[in-house]
Amino acid sequence: MRRRFGAVQAVDGVDLELHSGEIHALVGENGAGKSTLAAIAYGAVAADEGAVDALGTVGLVHQHFKLIDRLRVWENVLLNREPRRGWTIDVPAARARVRALAATYGLEVDPDARVETLPVGIKQRVELLRELDREPAVLLLDEPTAALAPGEIASFFTTVRALAARGTAILVVTHKLAEVIAYSDRVTVMRAGRVVARVATAQTDADAIARAMVGGEVPALAARAATAPAPLLEARGLSAGELGSALREASFEVRAGEIVGIAGIEGNGQSALADAIAGVAPYTGELRFAGEPLRVDDGPAARLARGIRVIPQDRLREALVLDWNVRDNVVLGRQRTLPIAKHADAARTVIERFDVRPPDQEAIVGMLSGGNQQKIVVGRALTSEPRLVVAYQPTRGIDIGAAALVQSRLIEARNAGVGVLLISFELDEIFALADRVLVLANGRFVGTFEREAIDRGRIGALMAGHA
Amino acid sequence: MNALLATLGAVLGLTLVKATPLIYAALGGVLSERSGVVNIGLEGILIAGAFVSVVVSGATGSPVLGACAGVLAGALVAAVLAYAATRLAVDQIVAGTGINIAALAAAAYGLVLIYNQPGASHEVPALGQGGETALIVLAFVAAAVLHVVLSRTPWGLRVRACGEDPGAAESAGIDALRTRFWAVVIGGAIAGLGGVFLSLAELDLYSDGMTAGRGFIALAAVIFGRWTPFGATGAALFFGFFAALQYSLQRAGVPSELMQALPYLAALVALAGFAGRVRAPAADGVPFVRP
Amino acid sequence: MKVFARNRALRDLAITLVVVFGVGSLAMLFAHVSPVVGFGALFDGAFGTKEEFAETLVQATNLLFPALGIAIAFRAGLFNIGAEGQLILGGLAAGWLGAEFPLPGYLAVPMVLVAGALAGGVWGAIPGFLRARFGANEVIATLMLNVVATLLATYLVGGPLAQAGGGDQETATLPKAAQLPDLLANSRLTWAFLIGLAVAFGLRWVLRRTVFGYELRAAGDAPEAARRAGIDLGRTALVAMALAGALAGLGGATIVAGVLHRFNTGLSPGYGFIAIAVALVGNLDPLWILLAALAFGMLQSGGVAMQAEAAVPREVVSLVTGLVIIALAGRRVLATRRTT
Repeated sequence: MRRRFGAVQAVDGVDLELHSGEIHALVGENGAGKSTLAAIAYGAVAADEGAVDALGTVGLVHQHFKLIDRLRVWENVLLNREPRRGWTIDVPAARARVRALAATYGLEVDPDARVETLPVGIKQRVELLRELDREPAVLLLDEPTAALAPGEIASFFTTVRALAARGTAILVVTHKLAEVIAYSDRVTVMRAGRVVARVATAQTDADAIARAMVGGEVPALAARAATAPAPLLEARGLSAGELGSALREASFEVRAGEIVGIAGIEGNGQSALADAIAGVAPYTGELRFAGEPLRVDDGPAARLARGIRVIPQDRLREALVLDWNVRDNVVLGRQRTLPIAKHADAARTVIERFDVRPPDQEAIVGMLSGGNQQKIVVGRALTSEPRLVVAYQPTRGIDIGAAALVQSRLIEARNAGVGVLLISFELDEIFALADRVLVLANGRFVGTFEREAIDRGRIGALMAGHA
Repeated sequence: MNALLATLGAVLGLTLVKATPLIYAALGGVLSERSGVVNIGLEGILIAGAFVSVVVSGATGSPVLGACAGVLAGALVAAVLAYAATRLAVDQIVAGTGINIAALAAAAYGLVLIYNQPGASHEVPALGQGGETALIVLAFVAAAVLHVVLSRTPWGLRVRACGEDPGAAESAGIDALRTRFWAVVIGGAIAGLGGVFLSLAELDLYSDGMTAGRGFIALAAVIFGRWTPFGATGAALFFGFFAALQYSLQRAGVPSELMQALPYLAALVALAGFAGRVRAPAADGVPFVRP
Repeated sequence: MKVFARNRALRDLAITLVVVFGVGSLAMLFAHVSPVVGFGALFDGAFGTKEEFAETLVQATNLLFPALGIAIAFRAGLFNIGAEGQLILGGLAAGWLGAEFPLPGYLAVPMVLVAGALAGGVWGAIPGFLRARFGANEVIATLMLNVVATLLATYLVGGPLAQAGGGDQETATLPKAAQLPDLLANSRLTWAFLIGLAVAFGLRWVLRRTVFGYELRAAGDAPEAARRAGIDLGRTALVAMALAGALAGLGGATIVAGVLHRFNTGLSPGYGFIAIAVALVGNLDPLWILLAALAFGMLQSGGVAMQAEAAVPREVVSLVTGLVIIALAGRRVLATRRTT
């Protein structure tokens, strides 16, 4: 089996060969071009130049599931390939086909369940079954383990290995080096649209791959200064959110001058936690800020007035007005307190301290790169006299330089006495920044680690729900 | 007692008559919205169905041909909205509003051109009592058929997929734009029959403003009926009951304008009471643009 | 961005012209009238004499107020299809108050106008409240309220509020003191036109330079980001709809106090709907809306002359108006509204 690529720009003259029966890892930083390459291979994006040859069909399992929540499992798996009986769908046959498929690959699932009621791990199975029903010769997996617990990851790769053994060629697009080392046969490293390394996994190690990905050393973060932590945010028995991803009876505190990292797999209560503190969703239990209670009906305006700043997870929808310019976005949240005459100064401060490019207050935010958009969101939070900053995945989807800048500014805010609650799905980010790590699993806090006592293996086990 | 029963019977009979155009329009709305296109233009489609069926019936002398033409007119008007909503990805509600204004004006223009008089057409051959009964029965049949189509056929599943998440539907190889287009057009054909009922079954002419906002009540019925064919039919009967009630209450001396407002007020109250407790198809009203 | 916005406005203008002249010509050909003759009669009727131009300005004014209201609602992410009903009830309140009570001299006109704005504002606030409190879709609510408003006005003016000297469908004539002063002799052009200009400039300032305008635009352009920035979306919706209704109601009052000098149930030939096209063609910007109102005012006043002199039914004006709305529906996608 041979596959050739060769497009320009995002993917620049890349050749890649996948062999039947192998698990091939494609790694690279955000923006290195790996997702574009996968999309070209799948046929979702046309290559400007070059060609793709494949023996048989190509399947793609998306990082963000392409499942329709309110349809049933069988409807999702067999959409557009429904077994028929005359004019209508043969529902018993459809059910049986999904059951048989699930049994073949050991991916058990109830064909009649509505997808929206399923936990993330099961949704992934449905996503995989949907592709497997087409019996693909090549299967592309785009960040397939992003939503899985460590234990689920192992069993997921067991399934993938079984698939490969049946002769399927598998390409795993990922940035998790541990998985690359543990589960792949060969690895291709991309940087800035080009292939910079191509080796058999057995002949390399994680450090070598990381150096190849970054193209040198990772930029250094700001130094941590000694602070005198004082109580700032206290939660007692805090519960919030909806069934599957609720926060349950959480008790914790964030002190001024420290970064508290929340380690956990996506969907274990993080959104509910951030929304409760932001004042945009109802909760039960007690939340106190600087000694005063935060009442449930104190909305975002009241929280903002007290110095609580939230960097939300979806910057495009929850943080920015994309049609507006940089200046008007910088003052969002302070529109009632900051006189119009000071708007330009506020914008200038963010642009300079956060290196927003282009350095133009009139630039329309929707036209900026993701990294620069995020700098505006983080800059707005950190330059508006914050007392507590909740940072939800503050470096998601931005390039490594912008990420280092954002992380450094968070450390500097901590050094200056701001309390920071860092919610991240990247353990490396949490370990790099946090003074204290709280582990979240199934909506509950199941462990606390001071910075000096961080135990990666133990935290991983706790995240997966193993006590 | 007998008088009361007689009144009740009359009201129920009238309910069926008043509900039938609402049922057709609401079913058209259900199909359109399940595919992800909000059809504010239902009022305009009713107007097109009512007007064109009268013109064709008058010209050919055949009310059946007129009815067919009315259905076709409904589909054509819907096709304008469908094209704008899919290929041009415009705001569906704004476009639908334009459809309503244009259809009303086009019919008024047509009255002057064809009948040389503003306000109303001449009387034309109508479908008669038999036709009226047949169309009432057909409305309920249509609801059942639409239910089966949406829940049991491959096309219905695709329509629902496009209304929930057109991007995911396309990743399964479905042409979401085409699916939406045809769902809106077929929905327009169904709603066009509601217009035919108004002009050729209830009456035998077209007059300006005869649809009187029924398309809007049908929209409320779609929501009230939770976007299902049977639910929308039930809601249409509910609003039809209020429309029928006005004739009885009018005889009781209640001002006619207030009685005429009854179905609209009922729809308004239903809307307020139901909002937030029902979920529209997830991608309803959201234009789909291929990435 | 400014260039970008201007280009978009120019593009919309081009589309509008194509639709108006293209479809208009076709419709005239159906009526066996040469488009040259038809449009000639239209332009002549709109601009031929000083008095005819004054009537164009009158029609422009009548469209301007509801269009400004619709634009404000649009900017807040809301679609107010209810301007027609708001305008009618505003006119009714103005006509009833003006004819019923001997209002004191200089206060008579302001009171009549405020009454119209208040009535329209209340009628606009109803869907705003239903949306803020229950999450009810304002589109369907305003559609219902249009029908109810017409029926309510007909009932009131013929029943409880019937006045001596008024007809079946209208109030009595307003006393001179309650009428808007004329701007030009032998025309219906009054101070309403100047009030409209002032309101348009005022709204532009409010939108661009005030906290209220900032919050309203944020709620319309990015509701979730606005909510997290401490903006109360429900309150914004309520205020925006009330303001939109007040503007349409004020428009109804100026028609009563300036043009008809009494309320009549037929006072609007659909100004509230045509104003949707005016708002869209005007790019939802009060100053562009002034120009758009002028253009559609021309179609309205010229349409009458066209019907009289070229025998083209004036419904052709409404027809092209509806088509312009369809053509410009891509101008602003309100996909952010996710309530039922």
